[in-house]
Amino acid sequence: MAGRRAAIKAIDWAAFAERVPPSQRPMFNALKTRSDALSARLAALPEKPPAIDWAYYKSAVAKAGMVDEFQKKFSALKIPEPVDTQTSKINAQEQEAAKSAAEYVQASKARIAQYEQELQKLKSMIPFEQMTLEDFHEAFPETRLDKEKYPYWPHKPIADL
Amino acid sequence: PLLCPFPPSAPAALRSLPPAVTGGVLHATRPLHTSKQHLAPLPPLPEKGGEVRHGLIPEEFFQFLYPKTGVTGPYMFGTGLILYFLSKEIYVVNHETVAAACILAVIIYGVKKFGPDVAAFADKLNEEKLAKAEAVKNESIQGLEAAIEQEKKEQWRVEGRSYLFDAKRNNIAMLLEANYRERLLTVYNEVKKRLDYQVAMQNLKRQKEQDHMIQWVEKSVVQSITPQQQKDSIAKCILDLKALSKTAQATA
Repeated sequence: MAGRRAAIKAIDWAAFAERVPPSQRPMFNALKTRSDALSARLAALPEKPPAIDWAYYKSAVAKAGMVDEFQKKFSALKIPEPVDTQTSKINAQEQEAAKSAAEYVQASKARIAQYEQELQKLKSMIPFEQMTLEDFHEAFPETRLDKEKYPYWPHKPIADL
Repeated sequence: PLLCPFPPSAPAALRSLPPAVTGGVLHATRPLHTSKQHLAPLPPLPEKGGEVRHGLIPEEFFQFLYPKTGVTGPYMFGTGLILYFLSKEIYVVNHETVAAACILAVIIYGVKKFGPDVAAFADKLNEEKLAKAEAVKNESIQGLEAAIEQEKKEQWRVEGRSYLFDAKRNNIAMLLEANYRERLLTVYNEVKKRLDYQVAMQNLKRQKEQDHMIQWVEKSVVQSITPQQQKDSIAKCILDLKALSKTAQATA
């Protein structure tokens, strides 16, 4: 019976668990319990049912031809394999996930570049002991007092003091 | 230097000061306009101002006079100048002189006594400002580094998405396989049940026939025992008993 069993890949649940973010842990646990239940069910079932001892039945059953008929029909019986409808959906999901993952990684890299830039700026600053107020305002532009908007001392809204 | 209220507004090229030293510095040979415009950060401003003697007279004056008049030269000059002013009455001694002397004495005493403490206090204020700024800077650096770490971790997590889909496909495969096996097993069980039923039926029938026959045979045998046979069998039994009792009496 070729094509009967799609290969069941061994999953490293420990490595999988490491990569799950804490917010999705319940979903992961649910998946794991389901998987374990399925594999337990599978393991409990024998791969092939035991063979029927036709010789014994032929000798035991008195009705003529009944056992032969059963045997003929039994060996002719083809049990249909269950049809796989979901794998294509899973594959489609996987493609989508790959795409969104690529986008996320892209955005993440952009964020990292931004952080790196700021980090660089902070690390290459001159030490505060050697700065003048001008240098300080250059390094941290938000500290510069807006003398156009607030022409009178203290050059910022009183509430900000 | 941090809160210096008069930042030099001259272009960068003119700000070629020597590097900062924490002690007093002799600025006699300060170089100006010696190099081209660097684009590097400026060297920091000096920590302390030029050295002075007696709080008033810059050290450069003493150094200037030293080659010609030695150590005592400036003092002699000063003394001579004061005496000249007094004797020629360019400076007139009056009540304000006394007042000035008293005031100066008090001021000098105050500064000498409390000066260092006030200086330390002011320095502490400045230190606190610097420390706060430094702390803010360090926190931002740490925050940024943590954010970068977090992003990298998230990227690593995303890489593991294949596990999820493998798990799902595995689940599907297991489910299908389990269903298939269940179907096989059901078929087998059903067929076996039917065959076993036939066999059991036969056995039961055979058993019932046997029992019935035995019963019937027993009944007919019991019926066929005629009264004559009964009497004969009882007489035989009695004879046997007598014989047995004789042998039993003999042995006992």
